[in-house]
Amino acid sequence: MGAFLMTNHITRSLFILITLFGIQLIGSGSARADTKEPVCIQCHSKQPGRLGAPVADWRTSVHAANGISCNNCHGGDPSDFAMAMSPERGFLGAPKDTAIPAFCGRCHVGVEKDYLESAHGHALGKGGPQCVTCHGNHAVQLATPDLINEKSCTRCHSFERARIIKAAMADTDRQISDLERSLAQLKMIGVVTDQMDGDLFSVRNRFHRLFHSVEVEKVRSHTTGFQSDLAKIRDRVAAIRAEQQRRKTWGAVVIGLLLCCGVAALLMYRSYKREI
Amino acid sequence: MVILKKIGDFLDERLGIRDILEQNLTKYLLPKNINTWYTLGAVLLTLFAVQIVSGILLLVYYNPNTDEAFHSIQRIMNDVPYGWLIRTLHAVGANVIILALLLHMLSTLFMGSYKRPREITWMAGFLLLLLSLAMCLTGYLLPWSQLSFWATTVATSSSGEIPLIGDVVVRFLRGGAMVGQPTLGRFFALHVMGIPLILGVLILVHLFLVRRLGISRPPFGPDWKPTEPSATFHHEEHPGGIPFFPHYVTKDAAMIAFFLALSVYVVFFAPGLFFPPASFQPANPFETPVGIKPEWYFLWAYQTLKIFPSEFLGLAVQGVAVSLLLFLPFLDRSLERRPKHRPLFVAGYCVGIAVFIGLSIWGHFS
Repeated sequence: MGAFLMTNHITRSLFILITLFGIQLIGSGSARADTKEPVCIQCHSKQPGRLGAPVADWRTSVHAANGISCNNCHGGDPSDFAMAMSPERGFLGAPKDTAIPAFCGRCHVGVEKDYLESAHGHALGKGGPQCVTCHGNHAVQLATPDLINEKSCTRCHSFERARIIKAAMADTDRQISDLERSLAQLKMIGVVTDQMDGDLFSVRNRFHRLFHSVEVEKVRSHTTGFQSDLAKIRDRVAAIRAEQQRRKTWGAVVIGLLLCCGVAALLMYRSYKREI
Repeated sequence: MVILKKIGDFLDERLGIRDILEQNLTKYLLPKNINTWYTLGAVLLTLFAVQIVSGILLLVYYNPNTDEAFHSIQRIMNDVPYGWLIRTLHAVGANVIILALLLHMLSTLFMGSYKRPREITWMAGFLLLLLSLAMCLTGYLLPWSQLSFWATTVATSSSGEIPLIGDVVVRFLRGGAMVGQPTLGRFFALHVMGIPLILGVLILVHLFLVRRLGISRPPFGPDWKPTEPSATFHHEEHPGGIPFFPHYVTKDAAMIAFFLALSVYVVFFAPGLFFPPASFQPANPFETPVGIKPEWYFLWAYQTLKIFPSEFLGLAVQGVAVSLLLFLPFLDRSLERRPKHRPLFVAGYCVGIAVFIGLSIWGHFS
């Protein structure tokens, strides 16, 4: 009995010891954080049809990926079911077609300005396109030149002019995408890229804003400046890559030296052993 | 040279230093058939020394504060001269130490060196493995990355499955309901002071016991036979054996160089092995990273917890496995150490290794 109690005690103590020492590092299940969603999503996600659809669309959007929620555009109080849609709490609701540029332009200031000065902007309210016509609304994705396509543009006019603008943007946009990939790779190995991320983000936004003027000459004349900004970022990436290559060369030298030392020591051991 | 001789004479006159060196180096004889596995002790001592030095250097710039920890690590990796090297070496070194400890333990098991009179040596060694795992666990949180935060959150929440005291243990480990500043504070204290102190003492005890009892002779060769252990203390001598210095030290040096080469290879050419993308993102308690997995040495435990219907059962199985290994010298009392004369043990040994590897691979891909 005593031995049993002793064994039992030891086993229990061991459990605690093991716990403290973290033998069981990761348990089953996923301990998700208790994140509270805005009341808009809690309510609308359960509703059928057009009242619920925006939630599913929004979840796939670039806005959702960056933490831009319903209230950031539509206003209201995301923490209070009763007052969520109250104008007193700044609720705006869905804008009319002609108000959409101003609605989106609260954040996308530069784009709104270029758009309003463009042929597209001048046609606002006269059958011309506004933001949602090309970008969609709740399922809005990261803008790429693919948005300029025959299917979309020919809803209103021929594709010829759009094709020329798209071609003028293609090379710079490819450079931006390449740099984004490079920065992501550097980040994966612990390089702090915040400054370069910011610079690239700025170039990307300014460059994509440019399209909204829908002026081929303007796109072409500004492209040199953007490419020069991109070249500066590319130089910094290249310098980091060169430094990493240098490190690898030194690493190879150190490994070689260590292996030589190891082999030399083994040969010495053999010589000593033969003497015995 | 004259100055060195004078210093030597000075110390010898007062401490008998030449006699100590002679007894522990040139006249310290090791078994003639000693093999490469015996070098792992020296390899581990070197790796621990690298960890201490790199750890102290990291302490110069590391800030154990939830607002600053991640940025301080970023500064070390990007701004501090050779900071990337020191930090990567420290992280990789921890993994190589676990690898060397496991190999050391497996070779000791295979050659039956844990048997009487070396039970305490074995237990001290096994506790060193557990403490090293605890060092890895506590060190994991310090960068305060997504990986750190979520690995620690899930690890500590597993402890909640212990009956009766589970919640208390979780709160004790975290210092609160959630992983936060109190957790970082206590893990930091344990990692840089608490555990290293105990680890240091245990290493000294382990080394003392190895030296005091003498190196166990490998159970191979035609003249090896099981002998009845002495009822009183007996130091195992190896007359006509290999002098520790300079002979065996050269073999130790060779293996140390090879292990360091392996560490340096990972540091320079494959650091991603131990740094997944989540380790470069700051901790965010509101966003659980997808597919987060523990380090390779905890994968078996991770998978064990998953395959049982309850986490408590998984913990119990782990507890039994660890207890069996810790108390093995008291359970396996036979005098036989030759593997070919211990088929049942060797079969269990192979199955154990296969289960460890199998669970780890399963855990990695599950």
